[in-house]
Amino acid sequence: MARTLAMFTDTSLCIGCRACQVACKQWNELGLEVPDWTGTYQNHTHFTDKTFRLVRFIEEPKPSGDLAWLLMSDVCKHCADAGCLNACPTGAIYRTQYGTVNINQDVCNGCRYCVSACPFGVVSFNETTGTAKKCTFCNDRIHNGLGPACAKACPTESIQFGFRDDLIPKAQKRVETLKAMGFKDAQLYGADSAGFLGGLNAFFLLLSKPTTYGLPDNPKLPQKNIFVDSLLSIGSALLVGLGALVAFRQRGPGGES
Amino acid sequence: MALLQSAHWPFLIDVYFFLGGLAGGAFVIATAALLVNSVRYREVTRVGYYLTLLALLPCPVILIVDLGVPVRFMNMVLTFNPRSPMSMGSWALLGFSAAAFLAALFTLLEDLGKARDLSGPKRIVGIIGGFFGFFLAAYPGVLLGATARPMWINAHTLGALFLAVGASTGAAAIALVLVALGRRSRDGIARVGTATVLALVIQLVAVAGFVWSVQSSGSTQALNTLALIISGPYSMLFWGGAIMLGSVLPLLLGVIGLIRPSAGLTAVASVLVLVGGFLVKTVIMAAGQA
Repeated sequence: MARTLAMFTDTSLCIGCRACQVACKQWNELGLEVPDWTGTYQNHTHFTDKTFRLVRFIEEPKPSGDLAWLLMSDVCKHCADAGCLNACPTGAIYRTQYGTVNINQDVCNGCRYCVSACPFGVVSFNETTGTAKKCTFCNDRIHNGLGPACAKACPTESIQFGFRDDLIPKAQKRVETLKAMGFKDAQLYGADSAGFLGGLNAFFLLLSKPTTYGLPDNPKLPQKNIFVDSLLSIGSALLVGLGALVAFRQRGPGGES
Repeated sequence: MALLQSAHWPFLIDVYFFLGGLAGGAFVIATAALLVNSVRYREVTRVGYYLTLLALLPCPVILIVDLGVPVRFMNMVLTFNPRSPMSMGSWALLGFSAAAFLAALFTLLEDLGKARDLSGPKRIVGIIGGFFGFFLAAYPGVLLGATARPMWINAHTLGALFLAVGASTGAAAIALVLVALGRRSRDGIARVGTATVLALVIQLVAVAGFVWSVQSSGSTQALNTLALIISGPYSMLFWGGAIMLGSVLPLLLGVIGLIRPSAGLTAVASVLVLVGGFLVKTVIMAAGQA
């Protein structure tokens, strides 16, 4: 396996220009969609089968009563322990040699389990192709020595592309700088490999707590439940089986047939 | 507010969960009867194995039709992924189909007089198939628990619940057919009634476990989803349909039946159990995906 690639999205540098969102659409030939009215500049509300990069426009009330912009270019997190990849019953979702998570469009049969299994609401279903869609980390580009289209297009280096172990110290340094500047809530999201989901290969620097951005504080791998749920099912099976045997074995009304 | 997406599995998938569970449950009940006394409960086993195959037949069709690319349905069984309940479920469906086919075939051969007594081979198929039957009934619940949907991910007894519903509906379906056939099986009907009662008790415990585990999770989103069921738009279907009419009432009728067996009472209770089992699964599916 090659060194793990990553995208580091530093939301403190985002100016909301959406060059990333457009570049992603152009490169990946994602096509038109009907826009949502979200009450802010953000479009769309969610990731869709044609929107893999999504700039979130969040208005956070300041103590003064004004609103502060929180801008965040959101994307598939390419989790080290990915709910979608675990859930996939066809093997269509796979991990590349660079550690990114991709959906093989020629194998996916459109069962949509991954859509429900993503802790971030990233994977979307495309009615036309009948398959699941999400950010490919520009799989074609990274296999040809290029960075993802979004990172390439970003004019402020809010989206940085590189090897994960190179980007993390840079990100940590940036948090220190921001804290010194007075952004007391500045924090990394998904940088810790020992943290949730084994760390995210697309990780973020946030200026407020994750829930402000619609991100779960401590996302749980859905498949963690399988063990306990299965044990309880086995318990239920034993009781039901035993109950059935007892029911037929009992002596009682009815008599011999 | 985390931005999750839903698979939006259609109503047909609820039907599959119901039929698959019923098939698995009926097979297990039929096998239990066979193992205890193959002569005395001959009718129970016979009806159970035929019913299993009948309930199972639409299942693969439903699943394939619902795929985004139906022609690629075979991809499900070209992979074996133990971390995906859907992958394991596909294999279980395949294995169970084989067992259900063989069990029904052996029964048919006996009925046609081509073989006198196939209870030996039926026992082997019944025991192996019974494991698959349990798996087929339970896996949809485990599958829902292994998603990021707030209520499902925090409910740990969905597999146990779906299995118990499979058993109660499977037993109820057998009882209903036995009553309809109305011959030589009064003892069998009473015993199937007892099995239904026991499955209903486990079913009610599992429902309580489901509500309790979601409530104790402390997740706001999970509680909001649960509220759809216990006090929101689905509460009538849940409390009135699934719990009172579909579980508690047939449980009471079943207990009365234990003391004073009556084919009519069993038939009414069985219909209620079938409706209740279907509603339990449908409500959990609808609220979980909302």
